[in-house]
Amino acid sequence: MDTLEICYMSAGVLSKLVESKEISPVEIIDAHLARIDATEPVLNSFITLLADESRIAARQAEKDIQAGKYKGPLHGIPVGLKDLYNTAGVRTTSGSKIFDTFIPAEDCTVAAKFHQAGAILLGKLNMHPFAYGPTGENLDYGHMHNPWNPEMVTGGSSGGSGSAAAAGQCTITTGSDTGGSIRIPAALCGIVGLKPTYGLVSRWGLTALSWSLDHPGPMARTVEDAAITMNIIAGHDPKDVASAKVDIPNYTAALTGDVRGLRIGMPKEYFEAPLDPQVRKSVQDAVSLLESMGAEIREVSFPMFNESQAISSTVLMSEATAFHRDLLEKDGQQIYEPVRQRLEAGLFIKAADYLRAQQARALLDQEGRRLLDDVDLLAGPTEPVTAPEILAPRVLAGEQEIGVVGALTQYTRPYNITGFPAISVPCGFSDTGMPIGLQLAGKPFDEPTVLRAAHAYEQATEWHTRRPPL
Amino acid sequence: MAAEEQLPREDFDLLTKLHGVTGGHAYLDELYAQARGVYIMADAVKKIDVSGVEPDMAFIPPTD
Repeated sequence: MDTLEICYMSAGVLSKLVESKEISPVEIIDAHLARIDATEPVLNSFITLLADESRIAARQAEKDIQAGKYKGPLHGIPVGLKDLYNTAGVRTTSGSKIFDTFIPAEDCTVAAKFHQAGAILLGKLNMHPFAYGPTGENLDYGHMHNPWNPEMVTGGSSGGSGSAAAAGQCTITTGSDTGGSIRIPAALCGIVGLKPTYGLVSRWGLTALSWSLDHPGPMARTVEDAAITMNIIAGHDPKDVASAKVDIPNYTAALTGDVRGLRIGMPKEYFEAPLDPQVRKSVQDAVSLLESMGAEIREVSFPMFNESQAISSTVLMSEATAFHRDLLEKDGQQIYEPVRQRLEAGLFIKAADYLRAQQARALLDQEGRRLLDDVDLLAGPTEPVTAPEILAPRVLAGEQEIGVVGALTQYTRPYNITGFPAISVPCGFSDTGMPIGLQLAGKPFDEPTVLRAAHAYEQATEWHTRRPPL
Repeated sequence: MAAEEQLPREDFDLLTKLHGVTGGHAYLDELYAQARGVYIMADAVKKIDVSGVEPDMAFIPPTD
């Protein structure tokens, strides 16, 4: 079998071949290691590559499967974890040289679930230091590079997760999303990224950025793979104080391809904000396609969207500075300078302003829930622009030049504030060949509807079948 | 009130000393710009009518 084809197969396809013993996990891992070898000098997706360890794990998986001990759809499938997921015996840097030699004793809950499912860990993925930035820039381990144009950012903070999945280095990756860090690199790298409902996937064993905004979740090339991953990683975890005790549905069973009768709201405020015209058109075309497939499209109003940046930034900066304060005082000079500046800027937020932002957050949450009483999903762009150049401070969104951080988090932050599930799915390409993402958000714990609509749209288009020129 | 009026440079310099923040001129100039940004954000949040609303400390998931 052609090794590049193996690297671009989804877990949904690969798992059937593994189960029927038409392909061996050893063949899969060897193909991916060769792909990493060929592309990593350009992409820099990995902080730690586990070549030997993954080959050993693949041989064990092959033996187990031959012996009739097939564990399920992730058995023998190569995964990569963002380097803030603790992994027993494997260094976990959080993207900073300060933690270059930190080796956790225990797996985080998500890593343990992947391990139990038979997934094979290929390595730990590069990220914006401490997950505190939306671009995927990192001087400690080198910047991440977009597979569609290496001069452009991957998006962040889960940048290595975006580039690794998009370039066929891993079948499935994980990210963590505090202000958009799963959906931003997913949109900019042309893959699928799901930020699940707050509390649905355990945060235990992940380095925090902002306790009340952090969401771990899957990144992959297809919606089905995101659903397969959710079947493994979702669920209550008593080790995580914010973990929800809810019934976990079968997420892949939701992928019916049918959107008839779904009510999809398009917040008009999303289209009044700075927005690249090509992104606007791609998103409008995507929604029109969903309408032609039987969904009911309505214009809705989400006025507090306009306040979401200020609310989110105040909460995030306060919590991030509180979490990292001891480190800042002890080793501040060693922290990547733009991250250190953001952490130190958080020292200037007053407690009363933080609590005021939390009051406003409650209002935004109420408004979002009221909107979702009348529609099943909210649709819009994931990003107002395609990937900016690495280290560019500003970007042109339509006729307005705006700061990169504000631009990249413009549409993602509201769903961190509310905790609602939100997915980015590829919906087009710019004239320069850069990917564009459609964001769909739903009611708390209604991932099945979010995944169903994203999957139906994906299957009606060919965007997800395109490959970057690497 | 403009952010510059709320946080004059002299006050910023004093606060950075109190917080134990150090750095070269260029670093502190950029930090000053970001600290003023914090005040602008706070102003935007203050304009939201939150009367009668309790702080949403976190999204509280169902626990049973």
